[in-house]
Order: sequence, then C-alpha cells, then structure tokens
Amino acid sequence: MSRVHRFSRRAILSAAAASAAARVLRAQDAGPRIATLDWALLETLLAIGANVVAATELRQFRQVAVKPDVPQGVADLGLRGTPNFEALRLARPDLIFNSNFYAWADPLMNRIAPVESHPIYKPGESPYILAEQATLAIGERLRLPAARRLVEDLADRLDRYKNLFAKGDGRPLLPINLGDARHYRVFGSDSLFGEVLKRMGLANAWAGATSYSAMAPMGIETLASMPEAWIVLIPPHPEDAFAALTESVFWKALPAVRENRVLTVGSINPYGALPAASRFADFLAEGFSYVRSG
Amino acid sequence: MSGAVNLPMPMRTGLPHFLPAVVLGIACVTSFILLLAFRPHVPGEAAPTAALDAILLWNSLLPRAAIALIAGAALGLSGALLQRVLRNPIADASTLGIASGAELALVFSLGFLPLLGGISRELIAFAGGFGAVAIVLALSWRRGLDPVTVAISGMIVSLITASLSVTLILARGEYAMSIHIWGAGALNQQDWSGVNSLAPRLGAGIVAAAMLLRPLNVLALDDSSAKSLGVALHGVRFSILILAVWLSASVTATVGIIGFLGLAAPAMARLCGARTTGQVMITSPLAGATVLFLADCLTQLLGPGFSDLVPTGAATALLGGPLLLLLLPRVNGFSAMTATADATSRQFRKPAVALSLLAAAFAVILALVLTLGPTERGLSVALGPLFSELLPFRLPRILAAGGAGALLGAAGFTMQRVTGNPIASPEVLGVSSGGGAGLTIALFVFGVPSPAVVLLSMALGSLGAFLVTIAIAGRSGFSAERLLLAGIAISAFCMAIVSMVLAQGDMRSYALLTWMSGSTNRAGAVEAWTAMITLVVLTAPLFLMTRWLAILPLGTSLSRSIGLHVLLSRLVLAILAGLMTAISSFLIGPLSLAGLIAPHLARLLGFQKLQYNLAAAILIGAGVMMMADWLSRVVIYPYQVPVGLFAALIGGPYLLWLLGRKERSA
Repeated sequence: MSRVHRFSRRAILSAAAASAAARVLRAQDAGPRIATLDWALLETLLAIGANVVAATELRQFRQVAVKPDVPQGVADLGLRGTPNFEALRLARPDLIFNSNFYAWADPLMNRIAPVESHPIYKPGESPYILAEQATLAIGERLRLPAARRLVEDLADRLDRYKNLFAKGDGRPLLPINLGDARHYRVFGSDSLFGEVLKRMGLANAWAGATSYSAMAPMGIETLASMPEAWIVLIPPHPEDAFAALTESVFWKALPAVRENRVLTVGSINPYGALPAASRFADFLAEGFSYVRSG
Repeated sequence: MSGAVNLPMPMRTGLPHFLPAVVLGIACVTSFILLLAFRPHVPGEAAPTAALDAILLWNSLLPRAAIALIAGAALGLSGALLQRVLRNPIADASTLGIASGAELALVFSLGFLPLLGGISRELIAFAGGFGAVAIVLALSWRRGLDPVTVAISGMIVSLITASLSVTLILARGEYAMSIHIWGAGALNQQDWSGVNSLAPRLGAGIVAAAMLLRPLNVLALDDSSAKSLGVALHGVRFSILILAVWLSASVTATVGIIGFLGLAAPAMARLCGARTTGQVMITSPLAGATVLFLADCLTQLLGPGFSDLVPTGAATALLGGPLLLLLLPRVNGFSAMTATADATSRQFRKPAVALSLLAAAFAVILALVLTLGPTERGLSVALGPLFSELLPFRLPRILAAGGAGALLGAAGFTMQRVTGNPIASPEVLGVSSGGGAGLTIALFVFGVPSPAVVLLSMALGSLGAFLVTIAIAGRSGFSAERLLLAGIAISAFCMAIVSMVLAQGDMRSYALLTWMSGSTNRAGAVEAWTAMITLVVLTAPLFLMTRWLAILPLGTSLSRSIGLHVLLSRLVLAILAGLMTAISSFLIGPLSLAGLIAPHLARLLGFQKLQYNLAAAILIGAGVMMMADWLSRVVIYPYQVPVGLFAALIGGPYLLWLLGRKERSA
C-alpha cells in the first residue's frame, strides 16, 4: 500500500514538475508577462500578441471595445480608477505598461515590476500619432514584429479607404456617442476618430477641437446646426435613450435623418488606440459601401 | 370658520406684496424675449435652415420652456404639500431624500436590471423616491416627525443613496455620462413627449390638491384638534404624502434632479404675500414655475452658442443652502435635542485597564486586516514571503484609513464638545462637504493640482464651512437644531458646487467622482505619512485642552462665568477639528460618519472621563475605518467598494437610532 502511495505521489510530483517546466517554457516562448491599467494600451498589447496577464475592467472591456478578444486567463484588476494592486502583484507581471492617465499609480506599481509609460491622450497632441508611436515602442520593447505590421497595415488601409471615399458624396461626418435621449458627446478634430476621418480624406462636421478628444455633453438640439453632415452613431449607448431619440419629432425632422444619412456602427472604445481606429475605419468603409450598393 | 387657518409663523398682516411677484414676472418675460431674440441660429443656406430653425423653435426651445414651467410648478406644489403635511418648513424633495432615492433606483435599474426595460422610468423613480421618504419618515416617526429629525434623517438617507449611486456609476465606467447630466437635471428637450407626460400629472396633482384643501387646512392644527374636527388623520396625511412624492418623482424621472425648488417655491410664495393654505397652494406652483423658468432662460442665455452654462438643476441647487439658512428661524423643533443621547450610567472603575484592553483589541484588528486577504483561491492568511510582498500595498491604505478614522473620531469628539451637541460630527455639520467645495475650486483654478494644493484647499474649505456653521448657529444661541440645520444648509450649498462641476463630464469631474467615492486604494507613502503625522500633531494638543473640552459643553454663559475665553477656545478647537476633517476627507472622501459613532461608542463602552473618552474615540474611529477598508477590498474582489460606504452604512442607522430614542430626561 505504502509503495503504491509513494509511487503515485512521485508520479504526481514529477508530472507537476514537468507541467511547471512546460509552463515556464511556454512563458518564455510567449515573452515577458505584461500588465496594464490603460484600455488603449491593453488593446494595443492584445493586437500585437503580447503575453498579457492582467488588465483592468475586463467585463466592461469585452462589451465596449469588443475586439481584440481578451484570453480567459487574464486576471481582472478591477476598476480603472481603483485598480487592485494586490491582484496585480499576484499576477506576477514582468513589465507594466501605463499611460499618463494613471500616472498616480506609477510609484505603487514600480514595487511590482518596472513601469513603462506611453501617453496616447495628451491635450493638444494627435492621439493617432501618439498611438502609432506607442505601438512601435512597445513592439520594439517586446520584440514583436506584429506591432510594425499593425501600424503599416492600418496606414495602408486608411489610404485605400481614402480612394474609396473620394468617390463618395463629399459630405462631412459627425461622429457622436449618445449619452441619453437629449445629450451626446462629439468627437472633434483632435480625437482619435477625428484623426481617422482626416486620414481617410473625410471632413469632420464638428469644426472645433474638443478637450481630451470628446466634448461632453452637448444638447441634442445642436445636431440641427450641422444639416449637411452624416451622423455616425458610435455605441455603446443606452438602448432606451436610442429608442426615445429616434422616435422623437425633432430627430425625424433632421435633414440627416430624413435623407437617410445616419450610420450606426459597432461598439468602439472611444479612448482607444490603433485597434479602435482600425475598427472605426472598417465600420465606416463597410457602412458606406452598403449604403452605396443599397 | 370655513376660512383658512393661518400659517404658524411670524408674518406681517396687510395687503399681499405684489412687488416681488411683478418683478419676477417681468424678469421671466424679459429673459424669454431675450432668449428668443438671441437664440443661436443654424448656419447655411436660407431655405433649409429656416425649416430647421422652425424645428428647433417648436420642438426644442418651446417644449423646453414648457417643461421648465411644468416641472417647476410640480415641484413647487410638491414642496408646499410636503411642508404642510409634515408641518415642516424645510421639507422638499431634496431634503427628504426623494430625489436621491429616485436617482439611485434609476441608476440601479439602468445598470443591473436591463430586463426591467418594460417598466417605465417614472415607476422606478417613484419606487426609489417613495422608498427613501418611507425610510426617512420611519426613522423620525418616534419623534413625531419633528422637522429637525426629518431633515437629518433625510440628509443621511441622501448621503448614503448618493454614495451608492456614485459607486454604481464608477463601476459602470463609460456609461456614466447619462447619469451625470441626468443627475444634474438638464432640461433639454427634443420634442413634446416630456411635456405630454408631465403636464397631465401636474393637472391631476392640482386637482387632487384642490380636493384635499380642507384636510390640508385642518392639518395645520395639531393632531388632536384635527382629529376632533373629524379628519381621518393618517389616511389624509398618507395620501397627500403619496401625491407629493409622486409629483416630484415624476419630475425626477423626466428631467432629473432639480435641487431645492420645492423649498424655494413656497418661500417665494410667502414672500409674495401668500398667507392662507389656499393661497400657498396656488402661489407655490406659480413661484416654482417662475423660478425654474428664469433659471433655465438664464443658463441658455449665458451659455456659449447652443450649449448651456450649467445644467439648470445644478443651478437651482445653489439656491438650497442660502434658502435653508433664510428659513432657519421658522423651524421649531418639537423637542429640544440636548446632550442626553447616551448618558449611560456605565463607567469603568479602572479606565486605564479598559483602555489597554481596547488597544489590544485594536492590535488584533490591525493584525487581521494586515494578513487576511482575498486571492484568486479565496480568502487566505498571508504570512512569510507573501506577507512581505503584499505589505507595501496593504500597509499604506490601512494606515491612511486608520489614520483618517482616528482623525474623524477626534474631530467628532471635539465638535460634540464645542457645540455641546451629541450629534455634531464632521459629516453632519457640512464640514466634509466644505472640503469637497475646496477641492472643486482647486480643480477649477489649477486644473491638475498637486497633493499639497489639494490638501490646503480642502483644509480651507472645511474650515470655512465649519466657521460659517458655527457663526450662524452661534447667532441663534447655539441651539442644537440651529446648528444641525446650518450644517445641512452649508452641506447643500457645497454639494451644489461639487455637482455643477461633476456635470461638466470632463477630467475634473472624474477626479471629483473618485474623491466622492472615497477610496483608500490610491494611498501610498505620502498618504500614509500624512495620516500618521497629522494624527499626532493635531490630536496631541487636544489632550492638553481638556479644561476647554470639559467646560464648553456646559453652554456659553456658564463657560464665561467660570472664566473661560469662550470665543478663543471655540475658535482654536474649531480650527483643529476643521483641519482633522479636511485631512480625513482628503484620505477617504466625504462620507463615513465614523466621526459621529466613534465618540458615542467610546462612551457607551464606559469611557466617561474626558481623556479616556478621547483616546477611546480615536482608537475606535481607527478600528472602524480599518475594518471598513478591509471590507471594501474583500467584498467584490478584485473590484473595490468605496471605503466610506461601509462606515456610513453602520453610522447612518446608528445616528438615526440615536435620534429616534426617547429621551430619558423627558
């Protein structure tokens, strides 16, 4: 009996050792264990195939940003505003990427692993260029060639879409996000979506710049001041607000609505990086090709 | 005999004062004409823009004006009804917690019960508002719905519901925007649907109020006289209450929280000369409609282009504080609240030994919160290397929470002594919200202020709030009710400032939300050291001021006759208490009520002697906040709950129980 017992235990131990070794090997293959607090960096890291082990608000991320998929094993660190540092420590990251948004957490996270900061949203700077820079820097740091591919692919695709849209109606676009039935956020020329429009040769109907990439909140009646524009609704928005708005007399009277110039795209993280930009561009291209053929 | 009963308050007799009414009317008409003249126009070619302008005029501007009038009238009527039925001149949807209860219910249903999509917003808001007011009234029932008790219960229920709403908002991230705006009560309209749904409700409310006019009149008498006149007292009161809650909850569901309008309208009505119940019931809705209309015109006129200056509801909330102060002399508590709350006979024979035992218990708590924590495998005790790994994250927040709790315990103790009032505490007297106003101003002036600037501005805000409260209460002889009401007024004013910036929905509002949610999660070395150093520096002098602390509760005249420099001693202690509150508010946010319960628990345990009482209050405050901090990081790991919430959930009911207790001396 005892021999059997010992044998089985040894077997278990060796199996465990083997699997641990395999895990180490796999971990080495996958590169350093990465954690981040910032959603824009999270989607960048996932898109270039980094070994992400911990990130914030994953439940919400899966609903709002949708893509890239977050692997099941990634530890959820809780809210972006109050990340759980103990959970971060237990995830044992080798490297933490952070943005200026959560700079207050740097000293605390430095105790866990080295922190490298890449700003994407800074007042007065183009988030698209900063996102490109961050993607390339992270790619170099992690030796992931997918980063450069992501940047170049997107630039090429935006160029291609530019030719496509050149055949369009030439009207400006107004990318907005509904807050409730009476308020929306607008993404101005200095927002990520605004930059994508510019690169695709499309005009943004919101002429002014907006602070921190989105101005909140605008009264819905301001939509009437841009009669020429296409309205691009970017979810997520509260369903009841969408229903209440679209049934209202005011909405139905808007030239854009009467002339079928409203496009609702899929859910996008408004404070995203290149993957969000790419999602936005693809949605627009898809939407407008559908409009033209339909 | 059938004539109306006069309102129970000092008044001038004679002709109604037409002048204020005329001035208000002219102001309304003028601002609306200005609004029509200067409203922004759609750019572009003539033909299509003319059509759009017409749409804007007919489907946005005019319904907005109509909804301002209707919502204002509904709130005015609701306020007048509430004040009459509760015989309380400061009852209104804001002070009774109706608005914040409705808000919480709507936030909750939006976030967690999407299946309820079929149920109307009004019904959900009504359920929340009615739940809140039911709690408030149940809590103050035993004191015969005494106005002061009702106001305090309302404030606490509002505090807790608002904090729960903030927690839900933060937990939901991006979706928050609609709640911000809605919480601040913006009147923008895109068609007549809001008007169509609210106008019949107002009409029904007016009809019901007209039918209830006779019982309303009788209700102005005391209960026994009313009964003898044959009024089914409870039934009538209850139906009037339901009507009032329904009116204000409908407004909340349609346009959000319009702060303190129910308070302002009847006050204006009286200013314009309304005296009898009938006059007040007719004039209050008119006054409410006028005030809201005027405020809404102004915010549209002053805002750039198509956008508003501030959400209208946030603007009217600014009226709340000053109005409450104006109405203070009219509030008569039924029973004086004096320092009898916990005059227990229990007393330790050897307080030093008892204090050491308390310290030992404190040490056990400290050890537990340091070692016990959740991991992905559930709750486990961290020892050895894991402990030293986690210590850098646990220790600062535990020190910050414990230090803040200790400071609050000491601040509450000091305030209760200075005012001679057992329910004085940083939260109740509006000192914590004063810190919030300071923070708001710092965010406005500096954009991204450094921690030192934040701390300084919060200290100035807290100190200012406390000094104003004391000054106002001192003028009316420092009675307990005046003090608390002044505190509530200051608190309302400060929170109105905070919510105006919150409604902007930018980075500043995120910073404010983070502060309001009161998380110790960000605590690092700076916060821990701040807590520890200020704890020593600020509480040590208190032990040297025991003479002041012992004499001041006896009252101004007695203190003076003993030879105490009353003003100086009060000022010094007030500054200390204000600073302690500011620092704890900086560390753990505005909500906790630890400053209230710690001194009481100390006395209830049997620490009657001053020094021991103070030391025990400090220890208990620290222990309570450390446990609250532990709960906040354990309950929904890895997500975290605001730390003040748990302390408030314990402290709020305790305060209300304290108020509800029958006085022994009576």
